[in-house]
Amino acid sequence: MRTLSFFFDTRLDFSEPVTEHEFLLRCIPVDAPEQKIESYTLSVLPEGAVTDFGRDAFGNGYCSGRMEKEHSFFRCILRGEACRDDSLREKADASPCYRFPSPLTHPTKEMEDFFESLPKPGDALEFAKMVSSRVHEHFSYEPGKTDVFTTAGEAFRQGRGVCQDYAQVLISLCRMAKIPARYVSGLPVGEGASHAWAEIWADGTWHGLDPTRDCMADEGYLKLCVGRDYNDCPMERGMFFGGADQTQTVFMKVTSQ
Amino acid sequence: MEALLDHKDEINEQLARYGVKFGIYKNGTFHERLFPFDPIPRQIAADEFKELEKGLVQRVSALNHFLYDIYHEKKIIRDRVVPEEFVYRSPGYLALCEGMTPPKACYSHISGIDLVLGKDGEWYVLEDNLRIPSGASYPLIARALCRRCSPGTFQRNSVVDNRNYGALLKRTMDYVNTGGINVIFTPGRYNAAYFEHSYLAEQSGAVLAESSELFVENRKLYYRTSRGVAQVGALYRRVSDEYLDPLFFEPSSLIGIPNLMDVYFAGNVALVNAPGNGVADDKGIYYFVPKMVSYYLEEDPILKNAPTYLPYFESDLSYTMEHIGKLVIKDVAEAGGYGVVFGEKLSKAQCEDLKAAIRSAPRRFIAQEVIDFQDMPISEGSETVQRKADLRVFVLSGASPVVWPGGLTRFSRNPDSFIVNSSQGGGFKDTWIACQQERPIS
Repeated sequence: MRTLSFFFDTRLDFSEPVTEHEFLLRCIPVDAPEQKIESYTLSVLPEGAVTDFGRDAFGNGYCSGRMEKEHSFFRCILRGEACRDDSLREKADASPCYRFPSPLTHPTKEMEDFFESLPKPGDALEFAKMVSSRVHEHFSYEPGKTDVFTTAGEAFRQGRGVCQDYAQVLISLCRMAKIPARYVSGLPVGEGASHAWAEIWADGTWHGLDPTRDCMADEGYLKLCVGRDYNDCPMERGMFFGGADQTQTVFMKVTSQ
Repeated sequence: MEALLDHKDEINEQLARYGVKFGIYKNGTFHERLFPFDPIPRQIAADEFKELEKGLVQRVSALNHFLYDIYHEKKIIRDRVVPEEFVYRSPGYLALCEGMTPPKACYSHISGIDLVLGKDGEWYVLEDNLRIPSGASYPLIARALCRRCSPGTFQRNSVVDNRNYGALLKRTMDYVNTGGINVIFTPGRYNAAYFEHSYLAEQSGAVLAESSELFVENRKLYYRTSRGVAQVGALYRRVSDEYLDPLFFEPSSLIGIPNLMDVYFAGNVALVNAPGNGVADDKGIYYFVPKMVSYYLEEDPILKNAPTYLPYFESDLSYTMEHIGKLVIKDVAEAGGYGVVFGEKLSKAQCEDLKAAIRSAPRRFIAQEVIDFQDMPISEGSETVQRKADLRVFVLSGASPVVWPGGLTRFSRNPDSFIVNSSQGGGFKDTWIACQQERPIS
């Protein structure tokens, strides 16, 4: 069991003021037996935004809102405390949608060949761990070579990318082996940028795997959002009126007591 | 009818002025063209239409049950009537709509069912369109113009008056409206179907709006005017699922309404038709529709499908391989008459390539017997020529499905073409349903 204190700050700076800003934030921590959210606050700045909370079909909480008045920056600050205990994970069925390719995880011929070259799966979790290590070896971590629209196939071809690409390739390969797999965005212990990893379903429950760091996503990982791929989990999306350019700055810090 | 023929050019001129046109993709670029009207109507006898009506109501009810089931319990998958691949690999399936019940549990408010009349005298369903079926406005305005040119035609012929489409549309929207005004949401005046959007708004008394006139606040949808704002209770959206909401779906969409899906999930607006309907009008799912009728309604299907084979099933695959020369092969991922290949037109090498493609991805294809459908007379200059034609009938579902007495009859441009989809060129006719004759007293 680990108690995590988390802080997550997303900031947008606009080159000129914007108005009528509609936004959707998918950074509400998932409350589950293995991740009990003791407390959290989500602040949206500048003040004056109308916000509401909803829950999506993947079980994620989200915050939708609108800032009508003119503003030149937008900030969303999450802070709170969670109690992580993987021994409390409950058994549940995996939605069938996690067994089939999703828009960003369609396997390519190269990935199918790669899959064929792997030892055949026996135990699902052991197989997934092995694949996670192979994905880690296949990639070199290079920011700027991919973006949020890059598919698993494109990232696999160039062998370069970031956590999102590692996770999506692992997910795609696990689904080829008929193992339910999903995408997770969240915050691991440490500080810097937010992170993404994968979960695979075995023995009736979800197990976290971090192919970027080649390890299990254990009790040092705080889940914010799950889905079939990145498209289901962007932490911040918005649309506004005005011809401004925007610069995004993200900072997070998670400490464990 | 001669009176109508005499007015063919005038009617077409009027249609052009109204902007009755549609867009086609040719070699990757978008073109707009006028939709030529042929004044010789397709005529359907009262009894025949009555039978069609029964079949269509049954089919649309089953499809609505299917959509509810797929986004909830999925009994039809559990009972092995529909294999799960056909649902979860369908591009129209929206995982985000799992567990979501639309207002009044109505999914397909406006359904466009495409039928052909075989030379054997039987009607066959070729396609169900449950997303944004377009085309009702064409026969609607053509009828209005015909009436104006030749009022006598409709006095001499007893044709069912179908000027009520707008009223039916209003009733359909009112039924699911969650509180607020009815809006027809158009991508804008550059859209090829803009005429239809504006005409239907006028006919149904709904407000015509673009995304810039609509916004979301407090999980509610509002229409903005110079006099203030009004809440929207039903949105007949003529924007496809993927572009509907740039925050929940395709982020590059400039024609969508940010956070519209949040309003929908909160139950604060009815979306007409419901997002996610594409899972039920997929070419692969088509094969299963008669089975849905038996499964959900415990009735025998009244309307026939064209005989269809799914290479996904072993026995259908071998039949397809053996008889490919007489079958039509359709790629389930394509729409609008694209990805349709007639086996008899293929060279030996092309045939082998297609067979290999089917073998490597059997779920991607369906194979159908070519239905030899009846020719229809088309006026061309002073002559009458024969062309293939289909019929799109519109079913509007409020408290119960109602079949609009009429429809869009489309004909092919080329004499030997079986593809009548408007995206492929060709023109249209009005569809006359004969009035029920009173039985003579004996």
